[in-house]
Amino acid sequence: MKSKYIIIALLALSSLAFGYSDSVVWSDNLVDNILGYDKEGSLHLGQYFTILQSTYFKPLFFGVLFGVPAIFLIHYLIIGPMIFSHDRKKIYVFTLFNRIVHAIAGIAFILIIPTGLIMMFATTFGGGEFVRICKDIHAISTLLFIVSIVPMFLMWLRPMLPSSDDIKWMMILGGYLNKRKDPVPAGRFNAGQKMWFWLATLGGFLMIGTGVAMYFQDFRLDILVSNSISQIDFLRASAIIHNVLGLAVLALFLTHIYMSVFAIKGAIHSMINGYKEEEEVEILHSSYYKELKEKGEA
Amino acid sequence: MSDIGNARLKFYCDEHRCISCDGCSVACAEAHELPANINRRKVVTMNEGIFGLEYSLSIACMHCTDAPCEQVCPTDCFYIREDGIVLHDKDKCIGCAYCLYACPFGAPQFPQDGAFSIKGVMDKCTMCAGGPEETNSDKERELYGQNRIAEGKVPVCAAMCSTKALLVGDSAEISDIYRERVLSIGHGAKTQPYGWSTAYGSKI
Ligand code: HEM
Ligand code: SF4
Ligand code: SF4
Ligand code: SF4
Repeated sequence: MKSKYIIIALLALSSLAFGYSDSVVWSDNLVDNILGYDKEGSLHLGQYFTILQSTYFKPLFFGVLFGVPAIFLIHYLIIGPMIFSHDRKKIYVFTLFNRIVHAIAGIAFILIIPTGLIMMFATTFGGGEFVRICKDIHAISTLLFIVSIVPMFLMWLRPMLPSSDDIKWMMILGGYLNKRKDPVPAGRFNAGQKMWFWLATLGGFLMIGTGVAMYFQDFRLDILVSNSISQIDFLRASAIIHNVLGLAVLALFLTHIYMSVFAIKGAIHSMINGYKEEEEVEILHSSYYKELKEKGEA
Repeated sequence: MSDIGNARLKFYCDEHRCISCDGCSVACAEAHELPANINRRKVVTMNEGIFGLEYSLSIACMHCTDAPCEQVCPTDCFYIREDGIVLHDKDKCIGCAYCLYACPFGAPQFPQDGAFSIKGVMDKCTMCAGGPEETNSDKERELYGQNRIAEGKVPVCAAMCSTKALLVGDSAEISDIYRERVLSIGHGAKTQPYGWSTAYGSKI
């Protein structure tokens, strides 16, 4: 028994030693770093990252974190929530599978977004152990995100494809600027929901990719080597993309919560029990409602 | 530090003297008892194999003026001493590696902890000046290595450099030393090969 563990330990140790001697960041690749900063042929990513991170990212995240809810607060006070009749029939719109996948994604986001913000504003939280734990939670909950976002991508891919309703929906901003219950042009999902879907899935894959790159840091990717992109430039690009895209994810995530919890009274129940109010579908997803009527399902 | 005045401590590696012996990096790793995968100082060879252009030099943290690492750190854990040494606080650092992305010299490094390869907190050259802990305390030594500057000693890498290629000190003085070296080296261009005539004259 014991010898087995010793062998495993030795293997692990030798892989560490091997890992180091093969470092893609700190071996002779250090030379690429130096040449890569300000010399001819440089991607200048070192400077871009330094400027963005030192002066722009924090205020931008601060602005989105408080600005987006502030706009919604004004919207709520002036226009107020949409309230749909609960007396009519209910329409079954989300299967149990849909709801489970969505719930896992929701948990992942609730873990990922605040921990990400805490890292961005680490000074405010004093740095150290607390922020380090948040950083680990951020990384671990990415696994939850992966197992939910892949099935979500596949299960909603078809209804999320663009349609002619989307342009009309954009023109009237989804009908959210007034309280009239005019039918809004939208299929099963409206243009706003589609934007969130594509950002959460395709954008989500990019967030995963760049996050994993920063997590593992010192690894060899042959595509980079053959395109003579240094690992450090790849990491710099990852950090830039992760933060820029993170801004968009934060903005749309806040929007998503406002819409589902506050702006449309009771919308959140559809993701819990699968049923939407008939009037809600008739008004907010009018094309879908017509389709259901034709098929005799509503 | 009052005797230093406006001095900024800097490294300079004289490429004409560096013989790529790796003595500096070994001395550093031993003196500060660094973990196996951390090399605060590294000797690199530039233009390797290119005829007439190859040279070696030793790099570590360059203790930059307006240090980019300090500008990007989300925990604001860097502090720049009056003498220009760039240090950081490992109790605050979260190991996010932003400093590495900003650094032009690849100086910040991260010990990999255990099986999940979670990155530990950042480590880099301290110019042998320890960290924010009490000077020469056990905790300072444990986290940052020796504090030789506090004892009035030269950083160990430069102290042991056998060819005195690696210079450290007040930047103005370093540049004077280097200028003097460049001006005084050599003894004119040789026009004739050493041979019989040079040694014994042309007469037999
Ligand atoms: C991983 C994060 C999430 C992803 C990728 C995600 C994605 C989606 C998508 C694509 C939809 C369908 C389009 C839509 O109705 O907007 C949806 C619906 C919904 N989501 Fe999320 N969501 C996430 C997190 C959350 C969270 C945290 C909440 C809780 C506040 C939430 C509440 C809802 C509700 C109530 C609906 C139904 C809205 C409707 O029926 O119109 N989601 N989600
Ligand atoms: S870590 Fe890099 S950026 Fe920071 S002072 Fe040292 S060399 Fe300069
Ligand atoms: S790794 Fe540590 S020192 Fe470097 S930027 Fe992040 S928190 Fe600051
Ligand atoms: S100054 Fe000290 S810490 Fe820095 S490389 Fe030299 S020996 Fe290592």
